[in-house]
Amino acid sequence: MDGTSNPQDPLGTVPVLAPGHSYRSMTDKLVGIVFSKNTPTAWFVFMAVGFTLLTVLTVSLCYLVLKGVGIWGNNVPVGWAFDIINFVWWIGIGHAGTLISAILLLFKQDWRTSINRFAEAMTLFAVACAAIFPIFHTGRPWLAAYWLFPYPNVMGLWPNFKSPLIWDVFAVSTYATVSALFWYVGLIPDLATFRDKAEKPWQKRIYGILAMGWRGSARHWFRYETAYLILAGLSTPLVLSVHTVVSFDFAVSNLPGWHATIFPPYFVAGAIYAGFAMVLTLAIPLRAIYKLHDFITMRHLENMAKVTLVTGLIVCYGYACEVFFGWYSGNQYERFMLQNRIISGPYAWSYWMLLLCNFLVPQLLWVKKYRRNIAILFTVSMFVNVGMWLERFVIIVTSLHRDFLPGSWDMYYPTRWDFMTFFGTIGLFLTLMFLFVRVLPMISIFEMRTLLPEASPKHKSEGGAH
Amino acid sequence: MSAEFNAAALLKERPVADLARLSNRGVLFGAVGIVAVAAGYFMVDLSQFLQSYLIAYMFWIGISLGSLSLLMVQYLSGGAWGLVARRVFEAGTRTLPLMALLFIPIAMNLPTLYKWARPEAVDDHIIQLKAGYLNPEFFYLRTVIYFVIWMGLTFILNKWSKEQDETAPEGPGPKDRRFRVLSGPGMVLHVLAITFMSVDWVMSLDPHFYSTIFGVLVLGGQGLSTLAFTILVLQGLSNSKPISEVADAERFHDYGKLMLAFVMLWAYFNVSQLLIIWSANLPEEIPWYIERLQGHWAPWAVVVLVGHFVLPFMLLLSRNLKRHGRVLSRVAFLVLTMRVVDFAWTIGPVFRHEYTLHWMDFAMVVAFAAPWLFLFYRNLGRRSLVPANDPYFKEAVANGGH
Repeated sequence: MDGTSNPQDPLGTVPVLAPGHSYRSMTDKLVGIVFSKNTPTAWFVFMAVGFTLLTVLTVSLCYLVLKGVGIWGNNVPVGWAFDIINFVWWIGIGHAGTLISAILLLFKQDWRTSINRFAEAMTLFAVACAAIFPIFHTGRPWLAAYWLFPYPNVMGLWPNFKSPLIWDVFAVSTYATVSALFWYVGLIPDLATFRDKAEKPWQKRIYGILAMGWRGSARHWFRYETAYLILAGLSTPLVLSVHTVVSFDFAVSNLPGWHATIFPPYFVAGAIYAGFAMVLTLAIPLRAIYKLHDFITMRHLENMAKVTLVTGLIVCYGYACEVFFGWYSGNQYERFMLQNRIISGPYAWSYWMLLLCNFLVPQLLWVKKYRRNIAILFTVSMFVNVGMWLERFVIIVTSLHRDFLPGSWDMYYPTRWDFMTFFGTIGLFLTLMFLFVRVLPMISIFEMRTLLPEASPKHKSEGGAH
Repeated sequence: MSAEFNAAALLKERPVADLARLSNRGVLFGAVGIVAVAAGYFMVDLSQFLQSYLIAYMFWIGISLGSLSLLMVQYLSGGAWGLVARRVFEAGTRTLPLMALLFIPIAMNLPTLYKWARPEAVDDHIIQLKAGYLNPEFFYLRTVIYFVIWMGLTFILNKWSKEQDETAPEGPGPKDRRFRVLSGPGMVLHVLAITFMSVDWVMSLDPHFYSTIFGVLVLGGQGLSTLAFTILVLQGLSNSKPISEVADAERFHDYGKLMLAFVMLWAYFNVSQLLIIWSANLPEEIPWYIERLQGHWAPWAVVVLVGHFVLPFMLLLSRNLKRHGRVLSRVAFLVLTMRVVDFAWTIGPVFRHEYTLHWMDFAMVVAFAAPWLFLFYRNLGRRSLVPANDPYFKEAVANGGH
């Protein structure tokens, strides 16, 4: 028999909420994280690391503006390098948040409830990190709007609407707007709880303003539910569209290694894969630091591991198709690209590392025992984080550095400023994430209440007081 | 459901008369096609005959293979939609031996259909570069491997399912977990087999063309065919026990939503392929679309766009429509018809430069219906129509779904 099953739970599943909680205990626990006077030491450690790296980002961006993009390693023929790799990596990570909050909501997956809030926050912060790269890649970011947005002008200058790069501007800005709205709307009832629970007047005032006069009346809830569902519906296509457009940036060209029709679904799967790995990377430490084992149960971690495995397999299917069809095309440039990428090229190591991180290691998740092992899960998620970065490195750098004309072949070496900017955005991400955990509810309090047995219509209670 | 849940009664319930009626209707319909095909055999040349044969073959095996895909997906995902449709999927998979048999005419006439199998392929430089893959011996070997994978999975999953019907439920345990344990790796093998099958049987008709998304396109199309077909079958049986007890508006709503999702997915894959190939405009790829979007075939491209995407998409947005099996099954019929047109539009332009669809294409599709539907309904009638012994069945279906 299944070792994990017990008589109370014949289906062998772990509940989405540990038993023994009431409205009060749950609210107190989740509100207490923010209002507690004893902030865990780990918070200060992560914040210190994040803030240090954020300073590195500030320095490197200031220097960039001062000197120009020449401080980066990009040069002919690798004109796109760390900036687009990091952009795609960050944008991809954001996708898990949208999938969890929108698609899983529409599919009525109640296990999403305890992870959606911080996954959405992760989306926002990841998009913020992503946006830095294309904007600063222009060299003069204060002119970016002038180049990108199609405003009427006397010179008759318009962006090229046939270019997916301009679609990217619209896709990503829509994505950022809808994600921010979704996140904020979802926060309102909890902000009102914070307003009511806060003790200091200035705290009451700030949370009160943010709660926008929420009183929890039936009419409020009715409007709220409608708005939330509409936003979920609006977000759902965004899970597909953003990374589809990102994949078009490459696929519509005729460069071997970029031009492949499988790119749109394969990029979308890769984005969700990277995103779920990042949610695991964040959830596992947060769960330990704040002792959230009752709310983020093994069931959540196991389900996320399953999504990671499935999307990872789709990504590997993409790798397999690239190799097979590259050969099958009979095109000498395609075949050379493959040989250069996998066997003889100077960056072949990165392809094999990619296979190790994205293909080999995640196969551990087939085994239930490993899916329920925190250490293994965390290790796998770190491998995937690295692997998805390498995937973009392989696609971008190895395809560009040896194109059609051998005379223009050259190597690409990132400079220290490339690395500083990249690690700097990780600092920005960590800082924002831990600030968020410190001042806002990282788990949706009011949605968690609906998971209690008392909230179920079948439950004959004496009336839940909250 | 007001009555107490009774697995044994549900398992015993066999609407023999209704199944026979549906089967007879299908066979009669198919018989007309067989007569037309038989007459047509003497009227058209062998190439025309085989083109239509391949179109019909791809359409019908699409339902069989889509059934296998969805059967494994529902084991992995769970949910009431899969429990109610499981027996339909299973009966669909058990038509695969017939499809293996019906592959023989294609296998015996490779040079008529496939340029790479003709002697003059030696002079074609590009074909020579892929001759290691595109050669008759390897083609036959691969076809055998595909059918071994598909029929192997079909055999095991159906066998276990039969055992589940025969033994009283003992609650979830290893006997029920094994379906999922097999379906995970099974799905991986199945998807790979379908990918290479779509290259072999369809894409290599134009041996210069290649598109990495092609396998995914075929896979998605098969899922769509099977869903549409399942809706038609369940609607046909919606007044007979035990289907009448489980296939309520809620379930049709589920299938409608799934069909909408597959319609969108199919369109998404197609738009991706078109946009990427159109933008790069490479000499190896673009002729494939020029043949299909310009000249004689252009109107059919519009028909596929409107009938395969715009129309079903608009209709399926309606919640009311999805909850009515009768109306929904009409949309399903439209989708199935469009699947045929889509295959004709994909396969036809390789051969036909002066004309487009041929009456033989439709006669052949109808003719295939006779053996396929006969076998399908016979399979369906041999087992209980609902997997009432599945440990999740009672919870998911008998309590009104979730």
